Amino acid sequence: MSNNNNNNNKPLAKLLVVDDDPDIVQVLKMGLVKNGFLVEAFTNPEEALQSFKSNAEIYCLLLSDMRMPSLSGIQLSKKVKEINPNVKVVLMTAFEIRDEEFSKVFPSSRVDGFVQKPIGIKDLTDKILSLIGDTSKRKRDEGEG
Amino acid sequence: MKWFDKEVEDGENSILIYPNLPTFRQIYAKYVKDQLAATREDEVEEANNNNNSSIHNNNNKQSKSRIILIAPFYETVDSVRHQLSAFGVENVQRLIDTGSLLVADSFHSFFPDINGMKKLIDSLSQRARKEGRTGVTAIVDVGFFFLFGGDNKAVDLISYEAALAPKTQDSNVKGFSCYHWGNYGTLTDADKEQITLRQKKKLLEVREMRNYS
Repeated sequence: MSNNNNNNNKPLAKLLVVDDDPDIVQVLKMGLVKNGFLVEAFTNPEEALQSFKSNAEIYCLLLSDMRMPSLSGIQLSKKVKEINPNVKVVLMTAFEIRDEEFSKVFPSSRVDGFVQKPIGIKDLTDKILSLIGDTSKRKRDEGEG
Repeated sequence: MKWFDKEVEDGENSILIYPNLPTFRQIYAKYVKDQLAATREDEVEEANNNNNSSIHNNNNKQSKSRIILIAPFYETVDSVRHQLSAFGVENVQRLIDTGSLLVADSFHSFFPDINGMKKLIDSLSQRARKEGRTGVTAIVDVGFFFLFGGDNKAVDLISYEAALAPKTQDSNVKGFSCYHWGNYGTLTDADKEQITLRQKKKLLEVREMRNYS
């Protein structure tokens, strides 16, 4: 699924994108905007959290790098879920993800999905839509109503 | 990198705080480059003393060099290898193949066994002795301890640092626990004191690389 399916020109959803690598943030933002999302992007997770606190209801999903200094993606996702449990969280990592390992330490962190970098924008878009499909449709319907 | 060697001797474990990833890359890359140059100088001197051309003798080269462990947390193993090459370290793969350089993701050296890193360094220390090398330099990013956050963060970290004595007689390991400033800054003053002052470890605060080359 891609922007081709978003023919009504309304944004699919608003995303909060966080990665301490400025190049990655820029590429993700460009690609996701092109595919119909509204994106707020940050390289500083603390600033991202502040933005989320101010606008917790408008975000459908947090897409965050996992390993970041000062506030890791795991810590950020916990804080975001505490503020708005309905927000979906996808963590990105350039490292190998071993599910059995993470299941031991993540039981309460409620991360909705992982993606391994590098990932194509189409695959990422599909992943996001699979998680927020219902939410974004509901929000759009509410907007139209 | 003279300040690195001057500040911390064999048998010592220290704390290094770096401001950002590009600076950390410069630190480890310059260290590896300088170690290679120093090894080469030693070999030239020895070759001249022996009045032969043993400079090209691979066995001799290996016996003189240190083992350098680089354990990053905020970049991949491939990224470190790339950075070393980009910084002018020649033939990184050969250094790895000959056992002079080991690059390992620090996450998997701390998780699931938090003592895994210590075990790895101990095994490198033994290998260095067996191979007649001058020692081991371990440059370890401890970002792992900050990944999950929570109350146990400092407890685990202090416990890990406590297991690394500030100075051990006859040890051939020179250890650097590397903290990103963004992480170190999240520790309380009491935690910082536990990690550094009470353990009497040398604290190297790197603000800008140019001040330390």
